[in-house]
Amino acid sequence: MSPPEPSPTPALRCTNVVKRFGDFTAVDDVSLEVRPGEIFALLGPNGAGKTTLIGCITGLSRATSGTIEVYGFDVRKDFRITRRLVGLVPQEINFDPFLSPYQSLLVQQGLMGREPEPARAEALLETFSLSGHRDAYSRHLSGGMKRRLLVAKALVHHPKLLFLDEPTAGVDVELRKELWDEVRRLRDEGTTIVLTTHYLEEAEELADRIGVLREGELLVVEDRDTMMARGGGEMRLEDIFVQLVRAGAKDAAE
Amino acid sequence: MSANDPAVDAIVAEALEGLDDERTARRNALKALFLKECRRFGKVWMQTVFSPLVTTSLYFLVFGVALGSRLREVDGVPYIDFVVPGLVMLAIISNSFLNASSSLFQSKINGTIVDLLVAPIGAREMLMAYLGASLLRGLIVGSLVYLVAGLFSGFAMAHPGWVLFFACGVSLSFGCLGLISALWAEKFDHLSIVPNFVLTPLTFLGGVFYSVDMLPAPWDFISRLNPILYMVNGLRHGLLGVTDVPVLHAAVFVGALLLVLLTIAGALLGRGWKLRS
Repeated sequence: MSPPEPSPTPALRCTNVVKRFGDFTAVDDVSLEVRPGEIFALLGPNGAGKTTLIGCITGLSRATSGTIEVYGFDVRKDFRITRRLVGLVPQEINFDPFLSPYQSLLVQQGLMGREPEPARAEALLETFSLSGHRDAYSRHLSGGMKRRLLVAKALVHHPKLLFLDEPTAGVDVELRKELWDEVRRLRDEGTTIVLTTHYLEEAEELADRIGVLREGELLVVEDRDTMMARGGGEMRLEDIFVQLVRAGAKDAAE
Repeated sequence: MSANDPAVDAIVAEALEGLDDERTARRNALKALFLKECRRFGKVWMQTVFSPLVTTSLYFLVFGVALGSRLREVDGVPYIDFVVPGLVMLAIISNSFLNASSSLFQSKINGTIVDLLVAPIGAREMLMAYLGASLLRGLIVGSLVYLVAGLFSGFAMAHPGWVLFFACGVSLSFGCLGLISALWAEKFDHLSIVPNFVLTPLTFLGGVFYSVDMLPAPWDFISRLNPILYMVNGLRHGLLGVTDVPVLHAAVFVGALLLVLLTIAGALLGRGWKLRS
């Protein structure tokens, strides 16, 4: 599937976004657009600012300066709209020890402003192979099941822009492939997806476009094919990524 | 609202489908959070409801039944009756505080606070849901203590309106204080500071077990600076019709305290203090 064409209104538009923690600048003047219906991979070494940037978009953090729009709506001024458009699978696994997977999904539907839709909850449990554990305490689920539950929770309100922050960290190969299939299916249904990952074959496999962050700065944004062409067709994305990050570091030093 | 782009408007409309209006969304979010909070304390009722009932009942048995029979009347009522309002208020204060503080703090610790922070839920709905659950738990435990005490001392209810006012006002105030503590706390030790070093001493020195008129100077004056004294005496007026302080003073004090704490808790939640980085 070819990457979607630029739209007059992108799914996500970050303009000169800065996030500082005291003297430390975690996100440094990032401007970025994500097109409706694409899978955008946001790559970067540890501490590059990927999760912080996602936090500023989804409501976990507040940008120090700059503007962020989701489908044309400002994430601060119009937060009641943008948060209904956005779904987040956070990097860290979390679960409510008092709720079963089924209850977790119904509660999350309500928190997202919807009437509980039992059929939607049941369907998501089925999709993520959690039906057999529908009424178990979430704390009794395996790590992989908890990760799947996180994805299901992020989808429960039919988000149009989905952030997957290292969704396959620590999961086995089979589950990783299942999640890849699910990501493709969601994209085909029209969901825009922003993915961060340290498994670069994941980005190579899934992404329409790729952005690389280093120390809070956005070094490059390119179509996957353009980026792969940097290696003359002989290098894997992993090697191209290392080259880009090292070159960025060298530029910064100079 | 519109992004002024027909294609995007269609996407937004589809995402918001099923929601009549923003008010419906707010109501759904508030309901979901309130029921989740109620489910939380309901699932561990032995710890959240039964345990405080046993503890407070023991106070009643020791101070009211065992010692009370040897003490004279206080403020014109038998001592066993005199201690009941204070013990009910003690139950309301501690349970309202603990419900809000432990729930919000646990969400911060186990990471589920993310579910709230990414939701289109405002500070007002968060405040109402947490305080609603705190109020419910405070009133359930307070009512159970009153019922157990009533088996020994009778079911006095001199002014039901004042009982309702002081029970709800104090419960909501300490729910707010619980939220503020949970927002501020970064470890479990922090969370125990208010109940252990503020609430317990103030409660025991707040006229639960004695009348402030029994104290010599300057302790009677110092006791009148204790905010718990006004809460206990307000409820005592409601249940027994006797009080050490004018009931209107107590009512104004509780009302003002609630207003201040609501404002602070609402402002902190609105800013996302120690929640949103």
